[in-house]
Amino acid sequence: MRRRIIVVAAATAAALVLAGCSSADSPEESGGTDITLWLNGGDTPDELRDYLTSEYEDATGGTLTIEEQSWTDALAKLTTALPDADNTPDVVEIGNTWAPTFTYAGAFTDLSDMYDELGGDALLPSFVEVGSVDGAEYALPYYFGSRYMFYRKDVWEKAGVTVPTTLTEFNETAAALKTDDQSGFYFGGEDWRNGVSWVFANGGELAVKDGDEWKSTLSDPNTVTGLEQLQTLFADASLAPVTESDSTPWVNLNNNETTGAPEAATIIAPGWAHWSIGDAAPDPEDPTKVVNTWNDAVFGTFVLPGVDGGVAPVFAGGSNIAISAASKNQESSKELLKIVFSDEYQKMLGENGLGPANLDFASSLGDDQFATALIESAAESKLTPAAPGWAAVEGSGLLEEFFGKVNGGGDVEELATEYDAKIDELING
Amino acid sequence: MTVTADRRRTNRSPYLLLIPAVGILVIGMGYPLVWQVVTSMQEYGLQQQFGKPAPFVLFDNYLALAGNADLWAVVARSIAFCLLTAVATLAVGLLLALLMSAVGRAPRIILQIALLLAWSMPVVAAMTVWIWLFDRRRGAVNYLLDLVPGVEMNRFNWLESPTTFFIVASVIVIWMSVPFVAFSSYAGLTQVSDEVLEAAQLDGANGRQRFFGIILPMIKPVIAIVFLLQIIWDLRVFTQITMLQDAGSKSGDFDLLGTYIYKLGTKSQDFGMASAVSILVLAITIVLSWFYIRSLLKEDES
Repeated sequence: MRRRIIVVAAATAAALVLAGCSSADSPEESGGTDITLWLNGGDTPDELRDYLTSEYEDATGGTLTIEEQSWTDALAKLTTALPDADNTPDVVEIGNTWAPTFTYAGAFTDLSDMYDELGGDALLPSFVEVGSVDGAEYALPYYFGSRYMFYRKDVWEKAGVTVPTTLTEFNETAAALKTDDQSGFYFGGEDWRNGVSWVFANGGELAVKDGDEWKSTLSDPNTVTGLEQLQTLFADASLAPVTESDSTPWVNLNNNETTGAPEAATIIAPGWAHWSIGDAAPDPEDPTKVVNTWNDAVFGTFVLPGVDGGVAPVFAGGSNIAISAASKNQESSKELLKIVFSDEYQKMLGENGLGPANLDFASSLGDDQFATALIESAAESKLTPAAPGWAAVEGSGLLEEFFGKVNGGGDVEELATEYDAKIDELING
Repeated sequence: MTVTADRRRTNRSPYLLLIPAVGILVIGMGYPLVWQVVTSMQEYGLQQQFGKPAPFVLFDNYLALAGNADLWAVVARSIAFCLLTAVATLAVGLLLALLMSAVGRAPRIILQIALLLAWSMPVVAAMTVWIWLFDRRRGAVNYLLDLVPGVEMNRFNWLESPTTFFIVASVIVIWMSVPFVAFSSYAGLTQVSDEVLEAAQLDGANGRQRFFGIILPMIKPVIAIVFLLQIIWDLRVFTQITMLQDAGSKSGDFDLLGTYIYKLGTKSQDFGMASAVSILVLAITIVLSWFYIRSLLKEDES
């Protein structure tokens, strides 16, 4: 008995000593700096995340922690975390439309000295522009996406309509496809990110720079024309609630499991939505779940046509990436950016359906219908105004409110004047 | 009073014992409050957040708020929402407390467990379920209402108009706070002595008279503090509203003070103005709870 106790005691002591050794040794072994990267939503697939963490460890010996922020909370979290040196993430993904606000506020590190090394002129110009102030680059493009149309070939065929070639034709087709239980074109009333395409297509703008000041231009005649078209389209083609903004429209294109029919004949969605669209079948790995597999016989894509044919300018989705100016790990953060802008990672972005920041790698998107539609619509896509206060405008919810009231049947010109005044108060930061 | 002058002078320990509590209050609440008052008199936006000096504008923020029709609409809506919700919570809670004291042991324990479960449910989890219940397509509420002959509720969107939105919000807030009111009132009811009630019964008082003439006055102190807390909680309700907004509309017509301040500060990055509104909410809270403070002071005097 006594012997046993001694053995146990010795073992415990040894364990303690060994544990002490290992905990003392480990930081020396790794040697590198640990940094944190904030990514928004699930847009960056796991494969890419794993690549970043393992490459970072190989390059610096440190650990890269990736923390995912939800798109809805990201703006608020960035606002409070970025200025705080003790709590700031070192590298952040930032929605492209918020880039100007944070860049003007001084949230990011100047990257001009490594701009050429990271890709220089090959980087997507419109995204570089929103992240630059006075010719210095702060937030660089991370990936771009774009929105195009997904439709039900079976429903369209049955109604005897074909893919439209002009915007007016599209509006008419969508209205013709609407029934009591099915939207011809499903979009939420407050969904300004998609609705704004009708504004852009008619030559309208959300805001323009007049001298040094930005001015909201909702009451510009072209903008009003676009908004009126949208208002008519919402009334004639969409059964979505007027209060809906960010939604998952693809669920409406898939068959409803109880009725066996889709709730929408057409939707507009970011390109990666195609992973969620298709015929439903039980997941072979987990029979309690349902997976949707794309079926070319039933589903199709096309690019929203412009007023005179061609391609309508849609809202350019995507993100920028930047180093927090308050971060204590500037050098290691730059190492991470080198990995992000490496040839290998840019290729991986494309292969996963995300438009690579470095346009030299655009071909990695492939040449299937999704890649074609993405490239075609992205070529004409537009960004929101690069105004210092644009993130505040988005955060305030005024655009959702305005588009909701327009699609609710309000007087467009009156509303436009009212909301121009409200947005002007915020837009210059 | 019977305390001698001598004892009063020597006994300092109560004050010493108060120091930690007061100290924590001053650090925990005083510091942010002072900071908030200072910010409310500054022009404080995102650039100030990143280190730019914040210019003092004294009462400009408050003056701008005074002329802001949107704000006053939100204030009116919030006060109406909080009063209606608090009164309804109190009524339902009190009825449940009476039920608890009227029924036997087994049903009472079942009732208490049910109330405790509702009370201990994390807000986000409860909200997720509530949002499902009121979902326009698959929600149980619409499904059940639709079963009633002559009622067409399929696809009815509860969150589409502000009126139905706030009815849903109110129902959820009441559901979440009724257990607290019910337990507090029940605790109060157990203090009403049976002898008094028996005597009243012998004097010929009926149930209603006994409740309003004897029970209610006796548990009034409990009711008053519970009502006060409900008003304060319902005025600053945030999580429920913001989650319903995520499921419904981002429009300002669906804002109460909590979400209004959040949108103004954290989302539109106008921290100066948001602080000014917060100070206003503090003032409203003090005004609304004045009835209670006054009655406390009166009791002290008597």
